[in-house]
Amino acid sequence: MTELRQGDHQQAATGPAAVAPDPEEALVGVEQLETHFPIRKGLLRRQVGLVRAVDGVSFAIPRGQTLGLVGESGCGKTTVGRSLLRLIEPTGGRVQFAGRDVRGQSRADLRRLRRRMQIVFQDPYGSLNPRMKVRSILEEGLLIHGMGDRAARLERMTAALERTGLAAAALDRYPHEFSGGQRQRIAIARAVVLEPEFLVLDEPVSALDVSIQAQVINLLAELRQELGLTYLFISHDLSVVEYLADQVAVMYLGRIVESAAAEQLCRQPLHPYTQALFSAVPSVEPSRRRQRIVLPGDVPSPSRPPGGCRFHPRCPLAEAVCREVDPPQVDLAGHRVHCHVAGRELDRTGGDATAASAAIAAAITAATAAPAGPSQPRSDA
Amino acid sequence: MTTAPLLSIHNLVTVFQTPAGRLPAVDGVSLAIGRGRTLGLVGESGCGKSVTAMSILRLVASPGRIESGSIQLAVDGESLELTSLPERRLREIRGGRIGMIFQEPMTSLNPVFTVGDQIAEVVRLHHRATRAAARARALEMLKLVRVADPEQRLDAYPHQLSGGMRQRVMIAMALACEPDLVIADEPTTALDVTIQAQILELLDDLRHRLGTAILLITHDLGVVAETCDDVAVMYAGRIIEQAPAAELFSRPLHPYTIGLLAARPDADRRGGGPLTTIPGMVPPPQEFPSGCRFHPRCSHAQQPRCDGEVPPLRELSPGHFVRCHYAEEISP
Repeated sequence: MTELRQGDHQQAATGPAAVAPDPEEALVGVEQLETHFPIRKGLLRRQVGLVRAVDGVSFAIPRGQTLGLVGESGCGKTTVGRSLLRLIEPTGGRVQFAGRDVRGQSRADLRRLRRRMQIVFQDPYGSLNPRMKVRSILEEGLLIHGMGDRAARLERMTAALERTGLAAAALDRYPHEFSGGQRQRIAIARAVVLEPEFLVLDEPVSALDVSIQAQVINLLAELRQELGLTYLFISHDLSVVEYLADQVAVMYLGRIVESAAAEQLCRQPLHPYTQALFSAVPSVEPSRRRQRIVLPGDVPSPSRPPGGCRFHPRCPLAEAVCREVDPPQVDLAGHRVHCHVAGRELDRTGGDATAASAAIAAAITAATAAPAGPSQPRSDA
Repeated sequence: MTTAPLLSIHNLVTVFQTPAGRLPAVDGVSLAIGRGRTLGLVGESGCGKSVTAMSILRLVASPGRIESGSIQLAVDGESLELTSLPERRLREIRGGRIGMIFQEPMTSLNPVFTVGDQIAEVVRLHHRATRAAARARALEMLKLVRVADPEQRLDAYPHQLSGGMRQRVMIAMALACEPDLVIADEPTTALDVTIQAQILELLDDLRHRLGTAILLITHDLGVVAETCDDVAVMYAGRIIEQAPAAELFSRPLHPYTIGLLAARPDADRRGGGPLTTIPGMVPPPQEFPSGCRFHPRCSHAQQPRCDGEVPPLRELSPGHFVRCHYAEEISP
């Protein structure tokens, strides 16, 4: 029975070529992006393996929208962000920005394009040169892109600082004179001073304390509103992503396993990995606390990804087919998931995501509750 | 030994003597942990929560020192004063009666010894055990913390293990001598959420099985809410609120606690306007304000009382303490 239904699905599912919804409409469109790193060994640096950090990722971000990219360390989310800007050269796939093919740009053209697509890094200590005054940090990009004369540059820098909540006096100070939250504001000012259209935000608030984090999140939301910015928001923190993103994509081992509108993804997660990820986030409100799903083991190495579904060795619902066949994408009105079990549940419920999500959650609870209970004798296993 | 707490701290003051003057990183902290209980100590960076933990084991490095206060640990029916205990006896306490788990297992494990040797060393330091017996105990501990393939892992070096596995090894070391209390300083902060869930579940399971009390130090209110019996919130070197966990999260009384809870983003707040923020930032110890240290950031502050008078820690309802002059008016 399983096999038959699975067969049905392969037909119903959209093929990998049609994954991204019309990249022409989107400001940023990514199709089958691959970034592989060679593993070299020995005197001759012969290639002995390949780290498939990003292995066939597709998404599109419409202008003015925010895509949240979540996943655990090593899933490839940071590599996706850097590959978009070609800070790391992708090894395959297509990246479109405002209708242009980013991978096909010459160095000079790429430089011009990069003014329009900027990045903010996680660590506000490591990403600002400690020997440069804030003035030089902000001015560097303006000079490279030949934006305005001295007076115009000063005006732009002052405006960017004020917009990010800092006084113009900051220009003549060094990064170490600022707190973590203020430094992150400087990093954001450095990005927005170039008047970009698109920002890659790579864990921009992860290094900050809760009360400062809220200030910076609000700032990012304001800037998006005022400047009409488009964001790729990369984070391991689901609550921040849920709050800020319009669409959310969940990555596991170099691939997107599920993506949907933010609200839909957190209300009706379909992929067992997404369910585990959401259930693992500790909450202060007992009503929001879900039955915690504890996944066994660690994320496998992206140099040796498991066959079939990459999540199957840790998946409580893995079946024979999961070990063999890479699950095709099932697309339910924009809610996309790569999972054999989820596909079958959606079939069974006639495309009712709420019912399918609940059924999968119940199956996981049933599968994880019985073995590995908390009160086993002490020296088994 | 039933009603007396396992650990009780009274008016602990730990200062750092620097060229900028005497900086009270911990300024009059009092806490008590009962046997088998979990107390969460929460606050943002620089609030003094880690210095409090290090003070318990007298591990505060110079120029820091415990200036005054008392830290009492119940051992075999008597009460030991840790602040004045001779160093030699204190060493028996560290690792023997009180285990420690730090945030970054990679830097707290020794990279040149196998994990088996490191766990066995703890055992041999505290008990007369043969090499073989200590190794057997190390293996037993790795099984207890559910390390996969424990026999092989015994001879692995820390760098050969994943972050989650290293943290399990740290927990195995901390528990090897069956301590009465484990101090866990941000034990899951460096880990991914699914691995964090594994470690929190493990700690909870071990606590129930071994009856170990836990002092959990964290900045993550969610972690505290899900794992702790009691919570103390620190701000600028002082405890500003303390209550049973369920009570604190359902009825926070201090404006800082209320602000921290409101500043947490989540999907329910989407489209509901910007997040509530606490203006400004945590002051460094050389700039601690007078009176209530939170008053410059507090929207309820009333002068001259809030900047002139240090609010006492008052018990507003049974077991719920708050350090705010106007707590009743703010949240009636």
